[in-house]
Amino acid sequence: MSAIAVAKKDFRSARRSRSLWLVATLLGLLTALIGYSYEGYQITPTESVQQLFAQIVLLLSLLLPIVALVASYMSIAGERESGGVKFLLSLPNTRRDVFLGKFCSRLAVVGAGIVFMFLTATVGGVARNGTLPVGFVVALLAITLVYGGVFVSIAVALSSMVAARSKAIAAAVGSYFLLVLLYVVPGLSVFMLAQWVHTTLLGFDTNLDLYNAVSYTSPLTAYRQATNMVFPESAEQRVFRRASDAGELPVYLSEEVSLFVFAVWLVVPLVVGYVRFQGADLE
Amino acid sequence: MTAVDDLDLTIDEGEVFGFLGPNGAGKSTTINMLLDFIRPTSGAVAVFGQDAQTDPAAIREQVGVLPEGYGFDDPLQGREYLEWAIETRGADDDPDELLELVGLAGDGQRMAGEYSKGMQQRLALAIALVDDPDLLILDEPSTGLDPNGIQQMRSVIRDRAENGTTVFFSSHILSEVEAVCDRVGVMSEGRLVAVDSIDGLRENAGGHATIRLECATAPTGLGVGTLDGVVSTSVDGETLIVNCADPSAKVDVVTHVAGQVPVTDILSETVSLETLFNDLTDGGRDSDEDGATAEVVQ
Repeated sequence: MSAIAVAKKDFRSARRSRSLWLVATLLGLLTALIGYSYEGYQITPTESVQQLFAQIVLLLSLLLPIVALVASYMSIAGERESGGVKFLLSLPNTRRDVFLGKFCSRLAVVGAGIVFMFLTATVGGVARNGTLPVGFVVALLAITLVYGGVFVSIAVALSSMVAARSKAIAAAVGSYFLLVLLYVVPGLSVFMLAQWVHTTLLGFDTNLDLYNAVSYTSPLTAYRQATNMVFPESAEQRVFRRASDAGELPVYLSEEVSLFVFAVWLVVPLVVGYVRFQGADLE
Repeated sequence: MTAVDDLDLTIDEGEVFGFLGPNGAGKSTTINMLLDFIRPTSGAVAVFGQDAQTDPAAIREQVGVLPEGYGFDDPLQGREYLEWAIETRGADDDPDELLELVGLAGDGQRMAGEYSKGMQQRLALAIALVDDPDLLILDEPSTGLDPNGIQQMRSVIRDRAENGTTVFFSSHILSEVEAVCDRVGVMSEGRLVAVDSIDGLRENAGGHATIRLECATAPTGLGVGTLDGVVSTSVDGETLIVNCADPSAKVDVVTHVAGQVPVTDILSETVSLETLFNDLTDGGRDSDEDGATAEVVQ
């Protein structure tokens, strides 16, 4: 499989990127700081570690998409703009090899960054609290890796559809706005938008769970809900806005649905990007 | 816009084929189709009998390419680029030997992105030569090279051709094509306007060998036009200009004129390929047909 040769070359170049090392170092320091400085009030050391990771999840839910997008937005567009793709495809590689190789390499870069951040956070947390819930951290790491992978998939797919840096930047910024910011900015969220369309425009009665379901389509919401599978009840994050007497969470809002949302966001961009790249004229 | 239209071209195994045409004639478009970088609107492209679109990787196994518009953007050394090409091809070439062959011995440890244009061109040629491919496709290979580099590249091409490698070579520079190619194809405005050997092209141009005679007095009324092999004559002051169908007629012209007026100077011109090239590539033809068929090496 020459996709491996493509990935190896790409990974080798990435390792030489000074800015990448700088970003990784800064983020690692940041998570180490959070890990060491977080202190719960009147709780056990284990609970303290769990809550500090809740902080890290909150941070990563916003930061990780940026990291993944920045690391991948030029993966294929850059090769097309600079003409590197001419060499990639003059050798016995197919477009599939190039696409897969780039995806795997950037996945490895972002994955390594996530592992590094988790390592420093864990070290900081253990140094302060003296306890390490290994299973908990590993499970959280796995979910975070999938979340990072989703944005690598989106970024590589977008990158394969454009042939210039300017357009690649626009696509990356646009996707961050559409998939992340639009779900967290209070006055302008998808939740509010859905509510407005449903009640004001269509004249229905308010149905919070419907709007929750709409906002559950975002990888961001899925990530926060997925991590709740790992957190004990005391550290769980309230992801959805519900009435106090709403009762049990409906099945379509359950934590497990997040895995389905992840799967869709992993696969669909890759398929669309791959098909578009297959049909593109590379001049 | 149609860049290449109605192209039908077959190249034989083991020949050095020059693909000639001015900038924008469609040479690179044709090469990009051979490599499946772009697809024809209609028609088929085959290399070694394999369709370029159905199995591009199989073609790329057998073809070494020096593309146009490439870039060395990764922070990799020249030698590492070469090692990557060798690894991708599953070849066992020695990267240092290849670097030496293209004149980059000693520069392998430098970043390829920091090379000069000419050095990048040499590295690109080295990458094309990896695993001794059956067909070399070189798109404007002398771009950016100094005269020494052009010499080196020509000798590499000749060596490989002697060992049975087919070479498909595009250029807008006539002398370059003349120096290495067995046969040439001339592209103009997306169409192939001529395919022949260099000599064949010369002959087909009508053999307008021109001779200019500067005479002491105005050379009028000498009856040169009645001589065998003379196509046309004209007089410009004291200069007599005679177009001959055949270079051998020139001697007769000189003897005939010298017998009547004193000749002070003789200027003889063979058909210049430049003229030929200009004749062939000026004024394209329009057509409604929209199909491209190119077949390289059967």
